[in-house]
Amino acid sequence: MAQATPLVLEIQRMSTDDGPGIRTTVFLKGCSLACDWCHNPESISPRPVVVWFEERCMACGACLTACTHGALAAREGGALVRDRARCRGCGSCAEACPALATERLGDETTPAALAQELVKDLTYFETSGGGVTISGGEPTLFPAFTAATLDALGRLGVHTALDTCGECSEAVLSDLAARADLVLFDLKLADSAAHRRFTGKPNERIVRNLAALGEQIRRTRRPAALWVRTPLIPSRTSDIANIEGIARILEETAGDQITRWELTAFNNLCRDKYRRLANDDRSRPWALAGVPRMTAQELRACEAAARRAFSGAAEVLATGATRAGGPDGRG
Amino acid sequence: MTSPSPEPRFAVRNPKHLSPRVRALRDLYFEGVNRTWNNEFTCWTTGTPWDVVYDELTYHIVPETYPFFDPFRASARLAAREVPLPPGFFRRSLIERRAWFIREVMVDHVPHEILPGSLLAGGRFNILASRCFNRAEARAYERAVLGPDGARPSLLRFHRHGYGNAGATSGHLIPDYPRILRDGFRGVMADLEERYAALPSRRKRGREGRTLSAMMIAASMPRAVASKYAAECRRLLDKGDTTPPRRDELARMAAQLDRVPHEPAKTFWEAVQSLWLTHMLVMSDENYPGPGLSFGRLDQYLLPYWQRSLEAGEEREFLKEILRCFFVHANTVYDAMIRVGGNQGITAGFGQLFNLSGVGAGGRDMTNDLTFALLEVIDEMSPILEPKPNVRLHQNSPDHLLDKVVDMIAGCQGAPFLLNFDERSMAGLLKQAEEAGVTHLIHPANVHDYAAVGCLENTMAGNDRSGTVDINLNLLKAVELALTGGRTLAPAFDPVLNTELPPENDAPNTGDATRFTRFEEFWDAYARQTAYIVARAARLYEKSEATRAAYCPTPYLSCLVGGCAEQARDITQGGAALSFVTVEGVTFATTVDSLLAIRYLVFETGRCTMDELIAALRANFEGHETLQAWARFRAPKFGRDEDEADAMALAVMELWTAEVWRHRTLSTGRQFRPGMLSWNYWVGDGYIMAASADGRPRGQFLSNAICPTTGADTRGPTANANSVGKALGGVRQSATGKQLRNLLPNGASHTMTFSPDLLRDRVQRDKFKAFLRGYASNGGTALQVNVVDASTLREAQRRPRDFRHLLVRVTGYNAYFTSIGRELQDEIIARESHKRL
Repeated sequence: MAQATPLVLEIQRMSTDDGPGIRTTVFLKGCSLACDWCHNPESISPRPVVVWFEERCMACGACLTACTHGALAAREGGALVRDRARCRGCGSCAEACPALATERLGDETTPAALAQELVKDLTYFETSGGGVTISGGEPTLFPAFTAATLDALGRLGVHTALDTCGECSEAVLSDLAARADLVLFDLKLADSAAHRRFTGKPNERIVRNLAALGEQIRRTRRPAALWVRTPLIPSRTSDIANIEGIARILEETAGDQITRWELTAFNNLCRDKYRRLANDDRSRPWALAGVPRMTAQELRACEAAARRAFSGAAEVLATGATRAGGPDGRG
Repeated sequence: MTSPSPEPRFAVRNPKHLSPRVRALRDLYFEGVNRTWNNEFTCWTTGTPWDVVYDELTYHIVPETYPFFDPFRASARLAAREVPLPPGFFRRSLIERRAWFIREVMVDHVPHEILPGSLLAGGRFNILASRCFNRAEARAYERAVLGPDGARPSLLRFHRHGYGNAGATSGHLIPDYPRILRDGFRGVMADLEERYAALPSRRKRGREGRTLSAMMIAASMPRAVASKYAAECRRLLDKGDTTPPRRDELARMAAQLDRVPHEPAKTFWEAVQSLWLTHMLVMSDENYPGPGLSFGRLDQYLLPYWQRSLEAGEEREFLKEILRCFFVHANTVYDAMIRVGGNQGITAGFGQLFNLSGVGAGGRDMTNDLTFALLEVIDEMSPILEPKPNVRLHQNSPDHLLDKVVDMIAGCQGAPFLLNFDERSMAGLLKQAEEAGVTHLIHPANVHDYAAVGCLENTMAGNDRSGTVDINLNLLKAVELALTGGRTLAPAFDPVLNTELPPENDAPNTGDATRFTRFEEFWDAYARQTAYIVARAARLYEKSEATRAAYCPTPYLSCLVGGCAEQARDITQGGAALSFVTVEGVTFATTVDSLLAIRYLVFETGRCTMDELIAALRANFEGHETLQAWARFRAPKFGRDEDEADAMALAVMELWTAEVWRHRTLSTGRQFRPGMLSWNYWVGDGYIMAASADGRPRGQFLSNAICPTTGADTRGPTANANSVGKALGGVRQSATGKQLRNLLPNGASHTMTFSPDLLRDRVQRDKFKAFLRGYASNGGTALQVNVVDASTLREAQRRPRDFRHLLVRVTGYNAYFTSIGRELQDEIIARESHKRL
């Protein structure tokens, strides 16, 4: 069920990979999918979550005293164990922690207060053609809040982007998309069964929404731009067949209304996030632990395949940092 | 074979496209002590038993040298060769003696060699020359420096108790080189003669006449030196073992040296030759190799000669070759103490700075072909230390300049140059003009001709000595004194003997902090202690300044700085038209964070009492680790674009700068002005200063210049830059649009490290360009960029030999990563990409 007010997971300043220019990206908590490669696993649940940074912990015990729900225990050697069944995410442990070793993720806010925080880099938005990206989790889970935030930003003259996985009702997507300058629409897997297997849901509704969005742009020119994004996840989405399958879907749905199709390289920087979430006994390990970043060559191969397969007008490009080697030589 | 190491994400930079000539010169340079030729100090004495050859005052701001003052003095005196003196030498005034002596050494005693293949003459210039004292002067000088209340003991007390350091320092200014190119020393001489002739005979015998007479002796030196080099060129020609193209070059060089620097320069080659000889002789005159002696807007005042030579049919490539030789010569400053210290004396950045681009009259962008030629030369020669480029950017800098700048940053470990930002910088200089009542000398119609000296210190050019590193004050000391009511918080030590020094109680008693019930009471105590530390720094500086003014004239430099001839006053006596002393505030963010922590811990959350906090600081947080963590991690910090914390930063800035403007030197009438450059003091003084309320234990670095404390910067570069902009005074909306304020006319050093990922392709580089444009309208006065990832740096720590050329920017200067201390290396790694420690 959609809730009215989401929690803010994080505000990322000088974000350079979530739309044009220099952006501030706000990540809301709560997602309608649960991809097994998820780079922000702490964003899936809409509820506050408490994470523990082992390397920061001083083992002072303040959190053990502070927890009134009996959810915490110290293991031999100082490791902290959290019983997720008992933890209410109230954050009293985090409040008591002097070293920021325990943090409660998920801040309450209002669209007006959030918008004020998000425009602190207005100068940089102006010099770069950037703006604010509302991401998740999944912002379409919170239609009223997201709409109010987009409107508040719009009134301040800020370019806005809505980052969605497309798993929502057509009406909500249509309304929010119309309020944004750009929609970043994720399409991960062409095959619905694979989609269900790796994200928890089939892709039919997502594909329908993409088609509807294309139609809306054709009709109303809102949003002004549509970027489709496909994360390149090794052994999940980065095979050529999937890229070709997505290309076919794009042609059959939003087609020429797509401004850009971006293939984003897998990155492995979230390994620690799984570890931090994992200090209870029932958490799952990250499915892609140990998988290295892509090589520049692999990334270029995906890009070439996408360009071959997609005949639309959109700019097709692969982005993201690759394994050792620095700049990829593209000018 | 060792196990394969991960491929570094960025290849270590190597020079490229160098001609055989420049490659040979560069390789020769890097041979260091193995060279047969070098520019090591040569020492020269009058032969009197009381002679002083090494003047330590100029090194009073270099704490690393304190233990060596006596050995340096003794060895310089021992190594000094005697220069035969003319009859009646000691009957002349001190300034005339010194002018004569320097001229004599540079013309008749120092060898005049042409570096193999170089297109420029001007080799050895590092000298330590007799101060030319008579017996009474020597005695008075020694008393002023070494006496119980002298400059040295006062300095050591000041430094060891954690206040910082101060001393009348050489260099750090931009001589009026364009005048020499335009008029030659012939013009300087004619002006001096006219002024001298106009003096009534009584005043001819007084200070004015003696000063002008000494300046005339000095102004005749360049021509005599040039003629020696001309003779050397001809000697090489006569030897006949050179090849035809080189013979032609030597012939042209000889002909040029017959003319410049005495005559106006006509061609680009002549202009660079004239510039180099004129410049190197300043270092001879000051006995000071390089630091901060800067060129100003090189791409502006050399441009007419550049264009003229191109129009006359010279190849652009050949003109660049002249510039490359100029770069090689500039690096020989480091030979001064080539056998002292690590890495053969080429570890530190001396800072012969030059500016590129920037605005001109009416806000017009001044980027030109020579700007690019110089950037190309930097690109080809890098990594090399001198001269140091400083690119002036502004809100309308052209795209093609920013593209080149960003590409060069991306291709290097650290930006091969410092970036200066015009709007914020000029706002500070205009404020200075108002504060100091010099609006006739700095005003909206000429402020665009400012330039930076040393690392990044903004001054005007040609008539300005702003003593930009003369006072380095630890602002944090005032917090410490406010906690104790003016007493020593934790024992101070003599670092050589490792003995505890007696506690001090010189500071005002600002009350028992443990009885304060509101933060405002603490703030008031802090404000009074800030007034005290600034006044104490001024008193210390006065000793050094008065001694230099009385005993250490630099008449040749005075010929090159507007105001000295007009007032017939040596520059060391305040002769420059714009004569300031800069107080560089050190430990800014540590100070702000400490005040924030005190407010948060004691007055807002009641996490601890003032008693407990003071006890924890005295114990260096040992046994108080939880409180330390609260201070470090939970208390607010400067640098996150949080308005409340940044308001504290602005309050601290307004307070201490207002105190600075209250002071002026008594002996020379130089007005104090504020700035923020911390050179390496933030490292060393971290071991001297007691633990601070922000959670920093003694032994951990203080904050660097205007940068947030390491690890505090958790919101990324834009937040960091916004905080810095706010601390400098922010942006005011006025009738004419946005007006940047700047409380620091000197400017403030701001270092940021970026991950190479941010510059990986054109799209990302465009975003970085936009970041720089945003910084111009919202950030600080100067930015240095390191682009390096932590894994490369760790690799360099493991295999230092393979990374000898890995340059990083530390605080306004480039340093070879492998040559800096392990602690500083770790610090740079921690700082990478704004990661929390």
